[in-house]
Amino acid sequence: MPAAAAATGLVLMLLQAAPLFAAVPESGAGMAWWGWVLILFLFSFLLGIVAVLAGVGGGVLFVPIVSSFFPFHIDYVRGAGLLVALAGALSAGPPLLRKGMADLKLGLPMALVGSVSSIAGAMVGLAMPAKNVQLLLGIVILGITAVMLMSGKSGYPEVRESDPLSRLLGISGSYYEEFGKHEVSWKVHRTPIGLLLFFFIGFIGGMFGLGAGFANVPVFNLLMGVPLKVAVATSGLVLSINGSAAAWVYMFNGAVLPIIAVPAVGGMMLGSKIGAKLLPKVNTRTIRMIVITILALSGCRSLLKGFGI
Amino acid sequence: MIETNNGKVYADKVQLAYASTLEIVSHAIIIVMALGFVLYVLQLLPLTVPVETVAANWHLNATKLQMKIHHHCGWSCFTDLQTFLHGDAISYASVIFLSMATLLCLSTAFIAFFREKNQIFAGITMLQVLVLLVAASGIFTSGH
Repeated sequence: MPAAAAATGLVLMLLQAAPLFAAVPESGAGMAWWGWVLILFLFSFLLGIVAVLAGVGGGVLFVPIVSSFFPFHIDYVRGAGLLVALAGALSAGPPLLRKGMADLKLGLPMALVGSVSSIAGAMVGLAMPAKNVQLLLGIVILGITAVMLMSGKSGYPEVRESDPLSRLLGISGSYYEEFGKHEVSWKVHRTPIGLLLFFFIGFIGGMFGLGAGFANVPVFNLLMGVPLKVAVATSGLVLSINGSAAAWVYMFNGAVLPIIAVPAVGGMMLGSKIGAKLLPKVNTRTIRMIVITILALSGCRSLLKGFGI
Repeated sequence: MIETNNGKVYADKVQLAYASTLEIVSHAIIIVMALGFVLYVLQLLPLTVPVETVAANWHLNATKLQMKIHHHCGWSCFTDLQTFLHGDAISYASVIFLSMATLLCLSTAFIAFFREKNQIFAGITMLQVLVLLVAASGIFTSGH
């Protein structure tokens, strides 16, 4: 099965690469620069396939793995991670907006608070020593792994009464569910708590260059009562705005190198398109477990790097 | 194409405007990024910093790398036409274009909300545009 092969290829690539990468000098001078760029492109391509099949954003896989196994400083990996998440969300956006799944009125208030905090997160993250960032990244990634293992999801959560803030903002909508051939109407509750959590998520996303879809979706779906498909689609809208805000901080600090960012973005976008085509044909549960394992491994590796091991 | 079910449209005018802008911009980004990168790595135009020099120093943090090789940052690739006409500057400019995409889409949404007289969301969108403009102005910088 091609998807399982992609996931297995990714794991094998990591296992094979770890000792090889550990043996080269810090700059990766054991290999020509174009070799690293090519590997990064292929790696991002595989990540793009696996990320779509596992239902996670690209950035959350990209940053811990690339910062652990490639010779690039974590500053550039975080800068590229934000752009990877941003590019993925942008390319998926138009059809989701037209279907009414990504909802501007739901996403914009969350993105506004999230973008302010993502700028703050990026500033804090860039001011910290790399080892501390690696250490904290390891902790965050292991936390995400635990959330992915434990959190449930609800296709169509029941919201008995919308809260006053969401009524004031007019946050509600409907979309056509192609799978069940019926219309789904939705409204939300607990909007103020949601805003608070999006502020926190934005900070973490900006600090580590993660897309933060892993956190956006449960907040929309489990806390605010947004149907799962709308939660996933609107999460992309939010992270495209948050990622854009934080990316500027990285760019003004010289933490965006096109030689790293462009192949990562290109590989991830191409891989995501293949992943989206494979999605109906694969057992996503297996892929998700493989991704959780990869995340746990890269989280441990980040922790070890943070401890200087 | 507008998504409908028996003629029912599930996205309002603002979303449709946002989606149309996003579609045009995201296609343009792919083309511009690919062209810029080809110009850069194949060295079809001169480079302000050789790619080998960047690769030899990409293990350094952003502050140290800037001090050592003065790579492009912020809006530096647009300093003047002579600076811009370099492969690395054009590739860097394509990344700036990617970061500007959301701003372009939000500007479209602001106009659409304003026309609809939706004052609350016109205000939220305007604030969001302001946040992104402030971020793009380079006021918020940090560093090691």
